[in-house]
Amino acid sequence: MSLQSINRAERRNRRLMKLWAGVILVFLYLPIIAVFIASFSNLRFFVFPFQEWSIRWYRAVLSSLEIQQYLQNSLLVAGAVTIISVILAVFGALAFARYPWRGRGVYQRVLLLPIFFPQAVLGLAILMWLSWLGITPGWKTAVFAHLVWIVPIVTLIISIRIYGFDPSLEEAAYDLGASRRQVFLDVTLPLLWPGIFSGALFAFLLSWGNFPLSVYTSGVDQTVPEWMYSRMVAGYTPQVPALGALTVIVAIFLLFGAYALSRWWQRRQARNGNDQ
Amino acid sequence: MAPILELVDVHKMFGDFVALERINLEIHDGEFVTIVGPSGSGKTTLIRMLVGMDQPTTGNILLRGERINEIHANQRPTCMVFQSLALFPHRSVGENIEFPLKIRAVPKASRRARAMELLKQLHLPESFYHKGIHQCSGGERQRVALARALAFDPEILFFDEPLSALDYRLRKTLEKELKAIQRSTGKTFVYITHSIEEAMVMSDRIAILRSGRMVQVGTPDEIYHRPRDAFVAQFMGEINRFSVQKASDGTLTDTDTGVRYQAPTRVADADGTALMIRPEQIRLLPEGEHMDNVLSGVLTQSYSLGSRTQYQVSVDGRTVLVELLGRANAGVGDAVRIGWPADSAMLLKA
Repeated sequence: MSLQSINRAERRNRRLMKLWAGVILVFLYLPIIAVFIASFSNLRFFVFPFQEWSIRWYRAVLSSLEIQQYLQNSLLVAGAVTIISVILAVFGALAFARYPWRGRGVYQRVLLLPIFFPQAVLGLAILMWLSWLGITPGWKTAVFAHLVWIVPIVTLIISIRIYGFDPSLEEAAYDLGASRRQVFLDVTLPLLWPGIFSGALFAFLLSWGNFPLSVYTSGVDQTVPEWMYSRMVAGYTPQVPALGALTVIVAIFLLFGAYALSRWWQRRQARNGNDQ
Repeated sequence: MAPILELVDVHKMFGDFVALERINLEIHDGEFVTIVGPSGSGKTTLIRMLVGMDQPTTGNILLRGERINEIHANQRPTCMVFQSLALFPHRSVGENIEFPLKIRAVPKASRRARAMELLKQLHLPESFYHKGIHQCSGGERQRVALARALAFDPEILFFDEPLSALDYRLRKTLEKELKAIQRSTGKTFVYITHSIEEAMVMSDRIAILRSGRMVQVGTPDEIYHRPRDAFVAQFMGEINRFSVQKASDGTLTDTDTGVRYQAPTRVADADGTALMIRPEQIRLLPEGEHMDNVLSGVLTQSYSLGSRTQYQVSVDGRTVLVELLGRANAGVGDAVRIGWPADSAMLLKA
């Protein structure tokens, strides 16, 4: 085969690959785009194509006291889950990835099980357990249920970071006279920071969007996804896609903000000390 | 003078595996001692115990006469330069050097002054103080790691082959610098490496470790010229080895070829069965010249080593290495005679 025809085949392959990637992206994002479109409809019922564009449902969402309460519940649950899961996961990840101990192999395998357990079943199981213990479901029990599912994920994310840095850094600090506590605060924690940050982000977003666990365990303190579901089942209003769209926008800002922050962090590392 | 560090019958087991077998070693104040061994010889296990990151199963480690077996690394007045250097990537060069001082709560101003002093001592410009670690080259990182260890002001400074990742020329430069710094600071340096070359350049004394045992301890010259056994002799550099049997009259017979050799008068080991001669001790003999031991063969290869040339001579199907300053008159394919005086060979235990 001539060099030219190889080049031509190469170019064709690249075009096909781009096309493929584009098709996949459209397939993945079309539902979200559909939600955005639906949220701008002027009509109460979903008819496509719609006659008139409007932002009245966004106004309705932002002024609704009812929705504010759901937002508050969701924020409360997601905030608590983020803080608790990060603290548990940092130490869990150190046990997972750094220190050799009896039973570590078992721990590493068992830790992942809750992720693979169907969430609806997990939620029901937790609800049954709560009722057996006589605990009334509320936002605190929802936090607990979310933690069961989210802590393993955050642990894994932070573990990756731990695998990525040389354990002799901790040994060196210890050898240079630092106490265990100083080693943790001066060396381990700063090096883990990027992992902790992305772990926290995951924890927040996973808890914020969770439906199957919340529906069983949040009791009276319903969250945003629960409200959306109940409105889809009965009493549809375009406030649902409007709120959904708003949530997505906030999540996008959060992710881009996080990306910008991590880039800033890398740049700061790249010239660390220079700006003192 | 009492030794600064003493190992008394230090024994280390991992399960049933004997990692170190009854190691005895004395290291004196201001000495540069290198522990050399091939990989798997137990040198890493040994240094981890010396710095306090592991403990011997039995035996004692004494620092100025006091037992320190169970004292943790962060409580010992010694420290180590790690193989990976273990410089903190999230800290500047200055902060790295000041780390041990910060741990001791030394005020910022004197910390900085000391860091500047150390940068100067290690031939690094003051502007490095604010540099990031990954902006430094391999050689600069070595110096920063050494500066950090010196800032700790240890009684003994340990090294876990930190130079192994560098290219040859830089390594040679740093070896000499390290030796110079050891002289000027007067500190005791204990270095471990697998490279005997590195050990020869820097050390006052070398200890050779083989499968968990200390085979020989001595000055570089002692070990090079009077190795205790065939392993040490081979470890110290290329050497020709003939298996021999000793007759009652003292002559040696080659067990492979039946050739008789004249034995060296100074014999390290009376039951030695390995006759060993360094390539540079063997000469190519011109026609008519005689020596205690002479072999005939064919010159099969020649390698230039810069100032010297190494030849391979095939003798009775075996290859003998000969090394000369400059070049020989013979070329590849020529029949040659090689010979060595009896006393330049060593008769050692196999």
